[in-house]
Parts: sequence; C-alpha cells; structure tokens
Amino acid sequence: MTWRLGDEAALARAWVSATPFPHVVIDDFVDDPDALLAILAEEAVERYEGEIALFDASATEPATPSFVRVRDSFAETLAPALSRITHKAVRTVDMRAYAYRPGNYLLPHTDHQDGLARVLAYAYYLPSPEPPAGGELELFACELREQEIVRVESARVIEPRANRLVVFDVSDGSLHQVREVVSGLRISLAGWFYP
Amino acid sequence: MIEQLFGSRIATIVEDAITEDEATALRARLVGWQRYTLLDRGSYDFIDTVDEPALFGRLAARVGRRITEARALRLVPGDYILAHHDRLYDDLPLELVLDLSPAPVPCDIHYRRRGHVFFRAPCTPRTLAIVERGPTVTRNHTYVSKLHAGAVVVRLVMLARDDQ
Repeated sequence: MTWRLGDEAALARAWVSATPFPHVVIDDFVDDPDALLAILAEEAVERYEGEIALFDASATEPATPSFVRVRDSFAETLAPALSRITHKAVRTVDMRAYAYRPGNYLLPHTDHQDGLARVLAYAYYLPSPEPPAGGELELFACELREQEIVRVESARVIEPRANRLVVFDVSDGSLHQVREVVSGLRISLAGWFYP
Repeated sequence: MIEQLFGSRIATIVEDAITEDEATALRARLVGWQRYTLLDRGSYDFIDTVDEPALFGRLAARVGRRITEARALRLVPGDYILAHHDRLYDDLPLELVLDLSPAPVPCDIHYRRRGHVFFRAPCTPRTLAIVERGPTVTRNHTYVSKLHAGAVVVRLVMLARDDQ
C-alpha cells in the first residue's frame, strides 16, 4: 500500500495559509483504499457513547497484525513529511478505525489536553458501501481570551470524501466537530501525531 | 464516605407534576428566547429569568424551600449543553427541572459527580426532576439527534434554597 502526500512545498503553503487554523486536505491519498478497507474489516469495533460523542471505534491499539502494519507504515511515511510541511516535529502516531452510523456525531471540541502531547490530528475517509449524508468535519474560528473561547463561528466544512486525508493543528483554539451522520455509513481512520 | 459528604443526596423524578393544560400555558408564556452559540459548551435557546409566582409557590411548598432562580432552556435537533458549561454550587441548593416539552424526545439530563453519571432524567413531558446540587455535581443535556425532525425540548430549571 502506498500513501501519496503530493507536492510538499504546495502543502506547506496550504498549511500556513489555511483558515480558521492550519490544516491540509489531501485527496486520492492511498493507491488502493479497498485493500485498506479489507484490512479494517478484520478489526473489531465497539460502541462508544460519551458526553460529546456517539460512534463505533476500534480499540486504542490495533488488534490485528495487518492493522499494526498499516499504522506503522503510515507513521514512517507521513511523520517526516508532515514535520517538514508543518514545521512541527512529529514521530509517532496512534490510529483507530471509526464507524459513524445514522445518529452518530462528535460535538465541537479541541483535541488539546494537558498531559497528552498531541501535535497534529488527522482523519482519513475510506470508501463506504453506503456513502454518508452528514459526517462532515467542521472547523470553527474561535476568539480566545485568556485561553477561554469567547466567540465561535463556523469557518470550513470538509466533506468525508472517500480516499481523503485531513491533517490539522492541535491547539486550544482548533475547535472542530464531526457533524451528525443522518444516513449511510462514514468509515474513517483517525488519531494524532506525537513528538 | 467523602463521596457521601459531597455528592448529591437527593435525586428523584416526580411524574405528572403539572397538567397538560398548565404545561401548554406555561410554554406559551415563555417569550424572549435568546440563542447560546459558544459551541464548545452548548447550543440551545434560553430565557435567563422566568417569573411564575403561582407555580413557584406550589413547588416551594412541595420541596420545603424557596425558588430563588429560574431559567428556561429549549433544545432542538442538533442542540446540546455540556457539563463544563454548568455552574458549581457550594450551598447545596435543590435543582428542580420541570419538563415542558410537548412530546417525549430522546434527550436526557445527566447529573454527574466528578464526571460520572449518577442520575438520568429523560425528556418526559410534565415530569419534575429534583436533584440536590453540590460542589462536585454537574449536569449536561444530551445531544438531540437530527433524526428527530421537529423535536423540541423545553425545560424550566429552578433552584430552591432554604430561607436562611
């Protein structure tokens, strides 16, 4: 399986100029997304229901050797390139598979948490047997005062298009959500890059 | 033991706390809704101060405390209120939540102690949830799914305190 980031210089320019906060969207990212989907089919997912979220997700550590190889190859290929593109040194990555069915969502939040060294967040959308309506990644512009969000405005909506990778900055102000899926199935890989 | 000292000691739901006609009339009197838009905390409509002397008198008699604050909340599909948007109370007031919704909606209130849910109040019209608040007790209103088009949750949230 080959991961295709594309023109690094162009991505670096896109990263710094992106609003409301640094991010890049890369289409046609994997040469054979169906092979990736076949690997994920072997990975068990469980219901996760929290205050801000409802979805199915795989365990925090990949269960099958194939999924471990996917994660490691993703990290080995992308971490050096993303370090150059974002000027943030990253090395390791975690990866879980997610399935959002109708009624599933992830409410607005930032991924920044003290004690967790998340530097970059990512989501990769797989081909779905039933492409979803809803399930977009929505990025918000926030006005911060003393690290408190005092104003919020929707700034960008990114469709969960098959074979698309989104990478975005993790900070106090990188507020985002996954809009509720109203029909179909949204399948993704997501996680964070760490130093 | 510490949990018992600082946790909520009262948490109950009273069915049919008001009649359907009273609920309809109360809803009609709730005017001047404002929208809350800090989405990292919640998405909902509110009326900051509600004054319903007759109702408050009845409820005060029921719980043996005076209603000192009342606020109305309205949630529609896509709305929610998170726990970290909630206030903390040191004086252990009783929180009374009167459900004025026209119909049941899958949208619960979760009362949490140190983050863990210890009491759930579903959206059931005309019920009254009574929960003692405290310095470790917060609540959230769960997400209203867009799959429930036309759903409306209306809640009158009151605080009751001793007179002294």
